Amino acid sequence: MSDVPDFEVARDHVRDELVRFTRALRRAGVGVPANAQTTAARALVEVGFDDESRANVALRACLVTEREDLDTFDRLFGEFWRRLTAGVTPEGSAERREDDPDGGFAPLGGAPADERVEESSGRETDGDSDDQRGAAASSSLGGVVSKNAGEHVGEHVATKRSPTGTPTPVAAATTTPDQEFERAFADLTDALAGLRGRRWTAGGDERADARRALRSSFGTGGIVVSMPQRERTRPAVRALLLVDVSQSVLDTVDRSFLLGFLRRARADWRDASVYFFDEELRDVSNAFDAPSQTAALDALERAEAEWGGGTRIGASLAQLPPDAVDHRTDVFVVSDGLETGDVAELERALSGIAQRAASVRWLNPLAASPAYEPAARGMAAAQPFVDGIFAFSEAADLTELARQLRTRGPRERVGYEYDSRRE
Amino acid sequence: MTDRRTTAFADATESDVRAAFDAEDYVADDDVVTTVLLALRLGKPLLVEGEPGAGKTELAKVLAAGFDTDLVRLQCYEGLTAESALYEWNYTKQLLAVQRGNRHSSGGGSDGGGSGSDGNGDGSDGSDAGAEDGERGESVFTEEYLLERPLLRALRNDGETPPVLLIDEVDRADEEFEALLLEVLSDFQVSVPELGTVRAETPPVVVVTSNRTRGLSDALKRRCLYLHVSPPSFEKERAILARKVPELDGAVAAELCAAAGRLREEPLRKPPGAAETIDWARAVAALRTNGDESLSSAEVEQTLGCLLKEVEDVERVDDDLLADLLDAASEARASTDAAR
Repeated sequence: MSDVPDFEVARDHVRDELVRFTRALRRAGVGVPANAQTTAARALVEVGFDDESRANVALRACLVTEREDLDTFDRLFGEFWRRLTAGVTPEGSAERREDDPDGGFAPLGGAPADERVEESSGRETDGDSDDQRGAAASSSLGGVVSKNAGEHVGEHVATKRSPTGTPTPVAAATTTPDQEFERAFADLTDALAGLRGRRWTAGGDERADARRALRSSFGTGGIVVSMPQRERTRPAVRALLLVDVSQSVLDTVDRSFLLGFLRRARADWRDASVYFFDEELRDVSNAFDAPSQTAALDALERAEAEWGGGTRIGASLAQLPPDAVDHRTDVFVVSDGLETGDVAELERALSGIAQRAASVRWLNPLAASPAYEPAARGMAAAQPFVDGIFAFSEAADLTELARQLRTRGPRERVGYEYDSRRE
Repeated sequence: MTDRRTTAFADATESDVRAAFDAEDYVADDDVVTTVLLALRLGKPLLVEGEPGAGKTELAKVLAAGFDTDLVRLQCYEGLTAESALYEWNYTKQLLAVQRGNRHSSGGGSDGGGSGSDGNGDGSDGSDAGAEDGERGESVFTEEYLLERPLLRALRNDGETPPVLLIDEVDRADEEFEALLLEVLSDFQVSVPELGTVRAETPPVVVVTSNRTRGLSDALKRRCLYLHVSPPSFEKERAILARKVPELDGAVAAELCAAAGRLREEPLRKPPGAAETIDWARAVAALRTNGDESLSSAEVEQTLGCLLKEVEDVERVDDDLLADLLDAASEARASTDAAR
């Protein structure tokens, strides 16, 4: 069995993720024995971190005691493993907030992230009459996605959908520093998770924590040196991300921004499912779990190759599994709203989702334009069922979305029309 | 407790486990190897569940043979008592010893209460009078009079390598019996009132099997690693037949595996496990004169009893289902021939 990293921070990270995983299993109804976490930790140490399937078997042996729970275990294990390996490097574990949006943390024993990115980019430009395919790949990415997709370094060329419907390359000053995206995404996460729970947690500045103060005073002879604070826990974000991958959207949206957003949501939010749709719906959540962005990019390219035509939004949304949405789910639809199918079907599907979800917000790349109005028939039909239409082209759009949610609240009117940048 | 006990297999490696399985022709998936290895290295009992015939009991046998150590088997059944599982006193021997002691006392001219000695000679009630071997004052509750049963035998094993303790079909035993097992499974010790606590020097490798005829207690499950053995896949079953029934032609083996797999899709009272497929293959191989011919309907009908063990299941195999079985077999043969 493989070596185990012997550094304190990594051990803490592994412990944290293991505890989180066990809690998730219990929440899902798995009867995890009381002492199982200890055994699981020992088992994980034995099998190491370089083989996902082996770790799966080891933890399953420790945490599951009923055959009926095996499926639930397998379903949740993917998320656990992604979080575990995303936070551990041979140098130690990293703060999640500072994770590279590209997920540049290699599983222990695997190739470093940089190498993998180079490999993947090499693979894209190799083979199959390399230049041609490389050019095609590059073309299919619309010049939007850099080799290291998700890294917004330097200028790049974006394509904007022109009024004539012909994709026209335009030079876009979209130098988007990673930090800006990080801040914007963190803002959005905070805004979505803004409603506070009933439990208290250490930290913050809401209220003095007398119990902790008393405990710590034992070490100083009863003198309270500093007053610890506590705050209400915030619920984690549960989201459903429905992404229109029709050609009209792919011509319009900044793909690296889109993929970065989806990957970050998968990584940071408690539960974020990602579905691509065009003329049908496909669950692509797993594609956003890999350490590098290659799998997500492949999924997007595959969707473009297989579909990439008109979109039937209503018919696609109607295929959504019933359990994909519940009253805690924030639904985000990334689409330009150009419905080529039956608008009545869109209304039916969306109203059903709106009734079940905590909120439905429409992220429209076209709404970045100051002159945008939801005049497309699909968008007009969807508007009554959504809690706001927002622009979706750069980090500032996320910041604006977060700002509106924070200042106006989830029950107030929000949307592109209240975007302060339009004034 | 067990966390701090030194296990004899703390340094076992994956290749050790695979070698043990290979030596006994046991075809194991990676998940079985990893889980068994963890059980060995962590010194935890292994709870194995799965359909009958999936190879649960065989797993323990193979481990014992593969690691060249003893297999101590406790077959559980309804009404199994602690005496049958742990230890008993050799009452006859105790009685004789007490009588011998009394005679010795009487012969010495003492009138020391010879009357009623028979009644006291039964050491089963543990009374002091009956427990003393006459004048010598020696207890009859000593090693000499102890009859070890499987659990105690496994714990007191003084061999170089600890034994494999197989607690088979634990779900057949009463729930009260499970409580008895808890001390064994967590601390590898038992309390014998007359002797004190008996604790294993080196914990045995414990394999507990269950067919899920009833739910097991959380306390028992908590003490074990869990392994669910799934019905074998087509490829795995072929590999098993290649090991266990080497005299059977490979294409015919593929036919049998495909037919058995097709049968498992039916709502049978007792779906065939890998063990039944092995029996079937052996029967087919024994009856064949021409080794590599395709499976015939007559052949299937003649040997179906090896595969199905319930009358209702056998009756279910009508002409249509038989044709389906042969179709599945034929497809498997075609793909096997193509792969060659």
